[in-house]
Amino acid sequence: MNTSVLLQRVGQVDPTRLEDYVAHGGFDALRRALLRRPEKVVEEVKASGLVGRGGAAFPTGVKWEAVARESRTPKYVVCNADESEPGTFKDRVLMEGDPFAVLEGMAIAAYATGASEGYIYVRGEYARAYTLLRSAVDQATQAGFLGDAILGSDFSFHVHIYRGAGAYVCGEETALFESIEGKRGQPRQKPPFPTTHGLFGQPTVINNVETLANVPPLILNGAEWFRSLGPEEAPGPKLFSVSGAVNKPGVYEATMDVTLRELIEEYAGGVRDGGKVQAVLVGGAAGTFVGPKDLDVPMSFSGLRRVGASPGSGAVMVVDERVNMWDVLLRIARFFAHESCGKCYPCRLGTQRQLEIVTRMASGALRYKDFLRLQDLHATMRDASLCGLGQTAGNAIISGLKVMGMGMSDD
Amino acid sequence: MSDIPWEQVDAVIARWAPRGRAGLLPCLEEVQSITGWLSPEVSRRIAEGLKVPLADVFGVITFYGLLYDRPVGRFVVRVCDDVSCFINGSREIVDACRSYLGVEPGETTPDGLFTLETHPCLGRCERAPFMMVNELEFGPITPQDVPRILEEVRKSGAGQEEEGV
Repeated sequence: MNTSVLLQRVGQVDPTRLEDYVAHGGFDALRRALLRRPEKVVEEVKASGLVGRGGAAFPTGVKWEAVARESRTPKYVVCNADESEPGTFKDRVLMEGDPFAVLEGMAIAAYATGASEGYIYVRGEYARAYTLLRSAVDQATQAGFLGDAILGSDFSFHVHIYRGAGAYVCGEETALFESIEGKRGQPRQKPPFPTTHGLFGQPTVINNVETLANVPPLILNGAEWFRSLGPEEAPGPKLFSVSGAVNKPGVYEATMDVTLRELIEEYAGGVRDGGKVQAVLVGGAAGTFVGPKDLDVPMSFSGLRRVGASPGSGAVMVVDERVNMWDVLLRIARFFAHESCGKCYPCRLGTQRQLEIVTRMASGALRYKDFLRLQDLHATMRDASLCGLGQTAGNAIISGLKVMGMGMSDD
Repeated sequence: MSDIPWEQVDAVIARWAPRGRAGLLPCLEEVQSITGWLSPEVSRRIAEGLKVPLADVFGVITFYGLLYDRPVGRFVVRVCDDVSCFINGSREIVDACRSYLGVEPGETTPDGLFTLETHPCLGRCERAPFMMVNELEFGPITPQDVPRILEEVRKSGAGQEEEGV
């Protein structure tokens, strides 16, 4: 189902002007939240069924509740704006088109959980988003929507903005904390989880940009409304970044029962030059390739699970028949070898070996043993890597080979 | 190499010093925007100012792709060569940059003006093929656009230099 909730103001308001945001209903949700007790706000988010939009799909309300229960202060709300998953650009579109909505979502999260400080960690390559957010924070603080005694209440919340410096792994939540703390952006061992030991070792809510942008409309319209949108298992509006060999690449909003075929043919205007789909990479480089036979699955968790995939960040990269798949797989293998942080060795070595093997195969040397090695690497990285980077580094390679008709039986 | 504008650098360090180590990343980014790259002497100054061990400062610099421990051109040309841009012809864009600049990815032109890099996904897939020159954005572009873009950037760079004198 087509919705226009998250993108309702994108392209409609001037992202540099707070007055424009307020004139379009901005900060109404924060006003409403402040009239309720914090635990009621947490309850509403829990009841809505909202799950994280960054890729891991953890229930947002459950996360907030865990932080709200912590008595240690200060607590933090961190906005993960380090969008670096290849093929994913929805957070950038939100930040560039409606930056105040992200701040409003953060302020509501802070009120609900008792946090006093907020951090936005913006990808280094997103200069425009950074500039707009800076200006948005300044304006919102001056107008009393952020800062001390917000809207005359006793709730205070200060927001800082950090810029990343070119490291994919910093999108992993604990690596992101390390980066803000002035260290190499390497993931921490979990548990403990951020809800108890997050930024600076304190209880921390960390949410993706799109997750936070869901919060104001959810608070305004209520959990029941939110649940009425899309499938039971994953309600609410979702952004999909559709790109590659399509006529109209872009960010599209729909509920998660939308099918891959609808996204490609109806939203993105079909495959370029009337061509045919060879493969679709769902969820970015960390995601999974599905073949042309599987385009009618819905983009929900259960729907994509049927074809061995998951929605991840909502990236949909379309590869048409003109493209040599080996070149695509080579880029994905190179990406992980380059972005592995080097902390844990399954990933550090595994991504290098994977690149060497894929390079060899792409040059035409197909050896049976290399297929076995790739399979083994995939399993080892998935089971033994410290964070999601290594755990998913073999997904696209293995599933890509399968779509190319070179699949092995599962595990 | 030009002299380091220490006054400007020290002002940035002084601003971030109260945050200590948590000020390191933004401090490095801001100083680099002044000095172009993070030389050992600049790094030492930052380490002292923020009271962070110099080894850790080097560790952070070398971890991040956008921080440089070697001199780079005044203009860093970042051509996205990831999946969506590749599908839309990024290889031809890279080739056009190579032939116009006469350097390979990772190298800097002899006049110190341009560094060419191929880059993992820049998050502008709806504008593929896409490239950035410092913070300027270009896309979708064709290989034929490349000489004109880089020529304009070169001229703007020469202009800046004259203004600076």
